[in-house]
Amino acid sequence: MTHFLIRRIFWAIFLFFVATIITYLIFWVIPANPAQLAAGHAASPEFLASIKHRLHLDQPIWVQYYYFLENLVVHGSLGRSFLTQQSVDSIIGKDAPVTASLVFGGAILWLSLSIPAGILSALRPRSIMDRITMTFVLIGISAHPVWIGLILSFVFGYKLGFTPIAGYCNFWPGAPGAQCEGPAQWAYHMILPWITFMILFAALYVRLVRASVMETMSEDYVRTARAKGASQGRVMIQHVLRNSLLPVVTILGMDLGLALGGAIFTETVFNLPGLGNQVIRAYNANDLPIITGVVVFSTCCVIAFNFIVDVTYGFLDPRIRLNN
Amino acid sequence: MRRKQLLSVFMLVVGAALLITAMTVAGASGATAKAGHSQAAKGGTLKLNESNEDFDYVDPQIAYRTDDWAMLSTTAMQLVGFPEKAGAAGSQLYPVAATAFPTVSKDGKTYTFHIRPGMKFSDGSLVNAASFQRAFERTLSPKMGSPVGVNIGLQDEIVGADAFFNGKAQSISGISAKGNTLTVHLTAPNATFVSQMGMQWFTATKANTPYTSQGQQTFASAGPYYISSRDPGRSTVLKRNPYYKGPRPANPDEIVFTPNVDPDQSLLQVKSGQSDLDIVGNVPTSSASLAAQYGVNKSRFKVGPTSCMSYMSMNNARPPFDNLALRKAVNWAIDRPAQVRLLGAYAGKRTDQILVPGIPGYKPYNVYALKGADVAKAKQVGGSAIASAPEINFVHTTSQSSTNRAQVAEYNLRQAGFKVKDVPTPATTFYQVVGARNTTYNMTSNGGWCADYFDPYDYINVIFNGRNIQANNNPFYSYFNNASFNKHMDAAALLSGAARAKAYAALDQELMVKYAPVVPYLINNDHFLTSARLKNWIYSAYFGMPYFNALTVG
Repeated sequence: MTHFLIRRIFWAIFLFFVATIITYLIFWVIPANPAQLAAGHAASPEFLASIKHRLHLDQPIWVQYYYFLENLVVHGSLGRSFLTQQSVDSIIGKDAPVTASLVFGGAILWLSLSIPAGILSALRPRSIMDRITMTFVLIGISAHPVWIGLILSFVFGYKLGFTPIAGYCNFWPGAPGAQCEGPAQWAYHMILPWITFMILFAALYVRLVRASVMETMSEDYVRTARAKGASQGRVMIQHVLRNSLLPVVTILGMDLGLALGGAIFTETVFNLPGLGNQVIRAYNANDLPIITGVVVFSTCCVIAFNFIVDVTYGFLDPRIRLNN
Repeated sequence: MRRKQLLSVFMLVVGAALLITAMTVAGASGATAKAGHSQAAKGGTLKLNESNEDFDYVDPQIAYRTDDWAMLSTTAMQLVGFPEKAGAAGSQLYPVAATAFPTVSKDGKTYTFHIRPGMKFSDGSLVNAASFQRAFERTLSPKMGSPVGVNIGLQDEIVGADAFFNGKAQSISGISAKGNTLTVHLTAPNATFVSQMGMQWFTATKANTPYTSQGQQTFASAGPYYISSRDPGRSTVLKRNPYYKGPRPANPDEIVFTPNVDPDQSLLQVKSGQSDLDIVGNVPTSSASLAAQYGVNKSRFKVGPTSCMSYMSMNNARPPFDNLALRKAVNWAIDRPAQVRLLGAYAGKRTDQILVPGIPGYKPYNVYALKGADVAKAKQVGGSAIASAPEINFVHTTSQSSTNRAQVAEYNLRQAGFKVKDVPTPATTFYQVVGARNTTYNMTSNGGWCADYFDPYDYINVIFNGRNIQANNNPFYSYFNNASFNKHMDAAALLSGAARAKAYAALDQELMVKYAPVVPYLINNDHFLTSARLKNWIYSAYFGMPYFNALTVG
């Protein structure tokens, strides 16, 4: 197990370096003139030169990358925004909880919906229930989150007035300038974003659970359990679900990282001040440190989630760590 | 089987729990909203959206966009300013912090302002002449990187400002502040100097306000409001300045700006009353239906003219548009109504001149095709030069609106016989490409200008003074530099009153008839939907928005 863990840690570190190198090259080397972006269009040549020096852009690429990495690893700093001079770390620190509340709240909803729906569909394949579920799956997979978000806002926010149309409230009270705050308002404002976020993933997971349960139910050990007189509930919980939900755990670990990317659409439609919204604004303003920071942070999340899933899976399923 | 169903139901209940908990809040919030309806006209929270945008800067000495200025005007205490009045009355400067308009020396070079005594910043400190001296210093300091130097050339106007601007002096020798008396020495007589003081850059600023190239987020201000909190990308909150005792309106207790809202969602929020106004305006595609539903300027749908003029630039410094006949041909070839239609209903008025209504010297005339492209005339004017002209590099940013404009314009040019190469350029590099003197660009659909102050100098001299062309970072892309026209501009700038207006009216015509350096096509309107509770709408053509401090939400 120790060797397995060490291998996984080194693999995560290697991935981190590869990701930061690619990120740095894409965002800092390819644009025509980051110093000009930082200095603004009206900058004098002297001011431009001072910015270039401050950002180490007057040095070779590998030196620039070294400073970038040193700041990141040694000082834990992702730099400062070109536009506002705010620390990127603090921006991400402020925005990440918003994205996390969207992703994790959405994940709870999609699992709560997709697991029972998938099981019911698997138990009665080609029944009316199964066909309705599969229709929902088709819509969920086909429809874009922006469209879903706008439709939900229009119907539930505008026409029926059940929910806010858009906007966000802080979970913790006390933020300066906040117009609404507290857990209840937070949840109230997150209803539609969660549902929007849920629909795409729920559709995928219903299919996944359905297929996995159907496959497990045809296994020999399930038939054996039934033959031994085990009740339906015992068979389902102890034999079918326990095994059929293992792939769901794996996919969930990967999807939680990838969902950060999907959050961009939902955050934009509902004006949630999360990482997705931040990166869109940074892109429009050419604020490279923020774009780089968000990409590095998201990459670290994906690596971390994968690492956790790998290790957890290693514990849950001895075959995996033995094969490694 | 029963237990299996129970398990599924249990899982569903867990999923629904979050929703049910959250939905119960809906009733409470609705009740809160209803209770708010009984508020008086003065007071309350004015909720403003800014769709797809946020203020880029809120520091008065750096901010330069119209949305920045419209917000900052509520916090500003300027020597002179525009009153919160609708129509032409709103474009007449009046002394605000100054007791009267400045006294001017006989040689026209020294301006003396007397500041009203007893005015205070929002932190209780006194406003005096040094507060305005600091505004000049922060506007021109090299440590600030403010756009003022490039755009209006203030560093050349005031004695000693150039040395300060270039970091060779610690202060501006031509400005002195003693108590409540501010004296400004100019390098030459300048009829627009007082008008320039109406810009937000010259607002009272505490004398110890630091230099910072990225600007401040919150600061003490002496106008009716101050910025109480600012979280870029999330919210900007203004509160009443408790020390402001002047006559300007300060109706809402609080003004909250929520940026970056999706435009469609923003429209729904305003319709339903969850927000009072989107200061960017309603989605263009919704204007026609909103006009049908509410009428124009009758209740909740407002349309107002702006001081903004949209134009396409041609690069006059290199072939093919160093050829006057070809520039004129382009002006005949461009389909102005089609360009206006791209912006939806009530987008504005077609134009083929530089000055706009409300600016002294504006006199409507019609030189080119306002009703649509006149291809035959374009071919006739351009003659054989069109066929022999090199391919036109038509540069535009990759935004949807810019691309649409370019596609229509390129089609028009091809109809007239030009060879056109479409060059979509990311905003990242666009300004470097078109802003360099030795650029290879020929034409762009990205261009427009709004008044810094209500004077024709701000359009004609600022945009077309070729002597200000630099190697890089040029803010205007026509690279038009004509010695004769420069002389005429210089002469007009020295005039005042009716003579000045007449001279600029002639210059406006001379520019387009004799030189046609650009293709003006639109005098922009702004259009807004308001919430049902929003009242006291006083529209400012200067900002292209209402005066926020005058609005009421009772």
